[in-house]
Amino acid sequence: MGCQHLEELYELWLLGALSGQGSVDLRDHLARGCPHCLARVREAAETIYLLGRSPKPARPHPRVKTELLRQISRQAAPNR
Amino acid sequence: MSEEPAGEELLARVARQDAAALGELYDRYAPRVYGLMFHILVSRAAAEEALQEVFLRLWEESSRLSEEGRSVAAWLIVIAREAAIGRLRGLRPDPQRDDMPPLRIKSEKMKAAGTRKSKDVHHAIAGPKTVEGKNEARKVSPGDGAKPPSLNEFSSAWLPQPKEIDLIEERLGLLHKAVNQLPKPQRQALELAVFRGLRDSEIAVELGEPLGKVRSSLRAAVTYVKHRRRAVCGTWAANI
Repeated sequence: MGCQHLEELYELWLLGALSGQGSVDLRDHLARGCPHCLARVREAAETIYLLGRSPKPARPHPRVKTELLRQISRQAAPNR
Repeated sequence: MSEEPAGEELLARVARQDAAALGELYDRYAPRVYGLMFHILVSRAAAEEALQEVFLRLWEESSRLSEEGRSVAAWLIVIAREAAIGRLRGLRPDPQRDDMPPLRIKSEKMKAAGTRKSKDVHHAIAGPKTVEGKNEARKVSPGDGAKPPSLNEFSSAWLPQPKEIDLIEERLGLLHKAVNQLPKPQRQALELAVFRGLRDSEIAVELGEPLGKVRSSLRAAVTYVKHRRRAVCGTWAANI
């Protein structure tokens, strides 16, 4: 019942686009474990995902993967 | 037709320190993650560095993430956006070099910053032109108002389940078509929020519009996208 005024804010809050009291209220609701707010934030994350999938995929340079895997193997065997 | 393992299956293997599984996750998701980060940062070097950080973080958080059963694809996109926006908002210098030195990855918080090269703020929500254009470095100072969820506070409990993301992926073309139909003022405001990480007050300054108008445009835009997504994915809730 106390969440209705937040209905249009979940997506914007996840985007970091909100300034003002709405952001504070939403954060408080989530901190208190409001199940409606949690369900709506999860749904809002789907919209964020959809928007984040808008740019065209692109191929990074192969060195990125090479360096990533090297970093991981270094972490896994630091005493080698 | 061989069936690929689900992202979450690969994540479970990563949680057991299977580096090859991380490599498979990288092969599968890096193009979309990198595409998003490059779109935001407009710098190959910065986007590649940020991409590596995101996957390294995935490696480190894989156990917890796997236990929670949330969508790894959603985690990657949300975290990637946060990381790129963090760089854009001036927390760490942008390398802007072609000959990238060996990367030293900080495994704790992803403190990132970057300057942005862009000659135009207009990026389409769908089907953008990615341009490595003029070196117009642009810093955005943190805005006013209450704190949004930042990279370090984001909870994976807020992420959707894999099946919800699978549905979006199945209908992605149709969804992008729907999003493309956003009226221009709403689209402009939303693009600045999504791909520049601007707050409503900053968008108002950027567009030279009253704050109230920008807030209305943003709310209308996300409501539109939300409703289209629900309609296309068939998840229309009775209370809408």
